[in-house]
Amino acid sequence: MGLNVDKLKQMYYHMNLIRRFEEKVDEHSKKGDIPGFIHLSIGQEACQTGVMHVLTENDYKFPDHRSHGICLLSGSSKEKVMAEIFAKKTGLCEGKGGSMHIADVEVGNMGNNAIEGSITATSLGTAYASKYRDEDNVTAVFIGDGTCGRGELHESMNMAANLKVPLIYILVNNGYAISTRAEEAHSFPEHLSDRAAGYDMPSEVVDGNDVKKVYNAMERAVNRARNGEGPSMIELLTYRWQGHFSGDPASYRPGNEVEKWKEEKCPIKNLRSKLENKGVQAGTLDKLEEDALKEVEEMVEFALNSPEPDLEDATKYIYAEKYESMKEGE
Amino acid sequence: MRQLKFSQALNEALHQEMERDEDVFVLGQDVGKMGGDFGVTKGLWKKYGEKRVIDTPLSEAAMLGLSNGAAFTGLRPVVEIMFADFITECFDQIVNNSAKAHYMFAGQLTAPIVLRTANGGGFRAAYHHSQNPEAWLMNIPGITVVAPSTPYEAKGLLTASIRSENPIVFFEHKMLYSTSGEVPEENYELPLGKAKVKKEGTDVTVIASMKMCEYALKAAKELEKEEISLEVIDPRTLVPFDKETIFDSVAKTNRLVVAYEAPKTGGYGAEIAGLVNDEMFEFLKAPVKRVASLDSPVAFSPKLEDHILPGYEEVLNGIKEVIDY
Ligand SMILES: Cc1ncc(C[n+]2csc(CCOP(=O)(O)OP(=O)(O)O)c2C)c(N)n1
Ligand SMILES: [Mg+2]
Repeated sequence: MGLNVDKLKQMYYHMNLIRRFEEKVDEHSKKGDIPGFIHLSIGQEACQTGVMHVLTENDYKFPDHRSHGICLLSGSSKEKVMAEIFAKKTGLCEGKGGSMHIADVEVGNMGNNAIEGSITATSLGTAYASKYRDEDNVTAVFIGDGTCGRGELHESMNMAANLKVPLIYILVNNGYAISTRAEEAHSFPEHLSDRAAGYDMPSEVVDGNDVKKVYNAMERAVNRARNGEGPSMIELLTYRWQGHFSGDPASYRPGNEVEKWKEEKCPIKNLRSKLENKGVQAGTLDKLEEDALKEVEEMVEFALNSPEPDLEDATKYIYAEKYESMKEGE
Repeated sequence: MRQLKFSQALNEALHQEMERDEDVFVLGQDVGKMGGDFGVTKGLWKKYGEKRVIDTPLSEAAMLGLSNGAAFTGLRPVVEIMFADFITECFDQIVNNSAKAHYMFAGQLTAPIVLRTANGGGFRAAYHHSQNPEAWLMNIPGITVVAPSTPYEAKGLLTASIRSENPIVFFEHKMLYSTSGEVPEENYELPLGKAKVKKEGTDVTVIASMKMCEYALKAAKELEKEEISLEVIDPRTLVPFDKETIFDSVAKTNRLVVAYEAPKTGGYGAEIAGLVNDEMFEFLKAPVKRVASLDSPVAFSPKLEDHILPGYEEVLNGIKEVIDY
C-alpha cells in the first residue's frame, strides 16, 4: 500500500495522539496519579507510527519499555491502555501490568517487558509459530540502542536467521541508554545494526524522524518476512526529548542538543510541512491536533474515574491451571 | 508387565504425545539426529522431521525464549536443557516470562512449556554437570517443579506436564536413566501437585524424591528388621507442594526426615521443615531432620563427591537420629 495523503493525515493524527498521550502521562505521573517508572517517547513518534501502519492485528508485536505508542496503535481500546498505566482494574491487564507490562493478545500485542531484550528471545517463538503453522503473519520486536548489548538479542538473531523465521527487529536508536551513548559502551563498525550482517541478516539504517521512511523500510522488511526470506533488522535514528524516565533531569546531555533536535528534526513538524506542501489546509491539520488532544483527555477521564484492583486479585492468575492439591487462593 | 528403563519411559511419553497432538514439538541441543545426550528424544526426528524436532545451537536463553513465545500462541514446546546446571542460562526467560506472563497480563497469555533437564551427582562430572538446582526454581511463583523417581512416574508425569497449561521444570536425575521398572504401554497421566506414599508406616515419615527415594525405601527394609516402620513419601511435584499428604503422615508418625541431594541451606527440605514447623509443631516428637548435601560445590574427586553428596548411609543415620531423639 502506498502512502497517499489520507494515509499521511492518519499518521499525522496518530503522531499527535502519541505526543498528547505522553504529555498527559508525564503530567499525571508527576502529580502522583500514576505509580512506578514511566518512559516517554516524545520525539520518537514517527518510529512507532511508521512501523505500526505496516503491521496488522494479526501480526505479533513485542513493544519495549518505551512503547505506549505501540500499545495505542495496535487496535486496543485506548482508554484501557491509559487505565492500565494508571493501575486501574479497567485496564487491559486489570491493573496488574502498568506502563512496562501491557499486553492485548486479541490485537497481537504480546506484551512488553521490563527486562530489556528479554522479548527478543520470546519473539523468536511467535515467529517460529507462524512458520510452524504456515501462516503469513510476522513478529515485530522493539529494542533500544543500549539493549544491543544483551546476549539474548544475539542468541535470538543467530537462531532467527538460521531458522528463517518472519521476525523484524526494530532498533530504536535514540542516542542514549539512560546516560550512556552507544559508542561509549559498545563496539561496532559504523552502525549498531551492522552487526546483523554477521548473522547473514539484512539491515537498514533509516531516519527515524521521517515517518514515510520508517514506513517504507518496515514495509520492505515485512515483505521479506512474509515471503519466507527470514528476519531483518531496521535501525531507526531518533532522539528522546525528555529524560530516561518521567522526572529524570537528564543532565548528562550536552548543551543545546535537545533544542537542536526539537527545532530541526521534530517528526510532527516535519510531517506537517510535507502535508502543507501537498496542499492540505493548515486548518485541517489544526483540527486533527485538537481531536487528538480531546481523545487523550477522554482516556484520562476514564482512567481517573476507574476503580483500583481488588485485594483478592493479588493471588489471581498465578497458575493458569490449578492442581488438585491447591487450596482456594493459592 | 513390560519393563522399561527410565529414559525409555520418557521417550515413549514424548512419542505418544507428539503423535496425539501436532502442537507438541521438541527442541534442544542434539535432540534430533542424535536423539539426545541421554537418548530421551530417540526416533522423534526421524518420525516427525525437523520442524517438530529442532537441533539448536548452544543458546539456552533463546531456546527458552522460543519456547515461551511459541507457547503464547498455543504450541506445546518441550525443551531439553542437557544438564540442569545450564538452567542458569535460561533464568531470565523462566523467571521473568514463563512464570509471570499469565499473571502480569491478567490471564491473557499462558506459557505451557516443559523444560526437561538432567540433574544430580554420581557421574563424576563435577561442578557444572552434577548440581541439584530444584530449590532455585522453588522461589518463583507460577513455576511447577516436577521430579519423578521411577520409570512409571517418569512417563505419567511427563505426559501430564506436556498437557498442563502451566510452565513446568521437569527434573530427570541422571543416575535414574538406566533404572528399570514396569511401565504400561498406553499413554496415561499422573496427577501433578500430588505426592505418593511409596510405603506405608507408623514410626517415621521420610520425604524423599528422585534418587533419594531409592535410599529411603532401602532404609525402610533395613529398619523393618528392628521393627521400625517407615512411611516413605515421594513428593513427585516439589512445587506446588502436596501439604495434605505430608501433614496426614506426620500427624500419624510424629517424626519427619527430609532427604534431598541439594545443598542443605535453603534447600527443598528447609522449606518442608519450615512448613511443618508452622502448621504441625504440636504433632512433632523430634525436630524435623534434613539429610542433604554439604554446603559445598560438587567436587571432582570421587572420594570428595561421595563425601559431599548424601547417600544411603546418611539417610539411614538421619532416620536413626530422629528415632533416638
Ligand atoms: C536487563 C536489563 N538491564 C538493565 C535494565 C535497566 N534499564 C532500563 S532501560 C535501560 C536503558 C535502555 O536503553 P535503550 O535500550 O537504548 O532504550 P531507551 O531507554 O533509550 O529507549 C536500562 C539500563 C533493565 N530494565 N533490564
Ligand atoms: Mg536508547
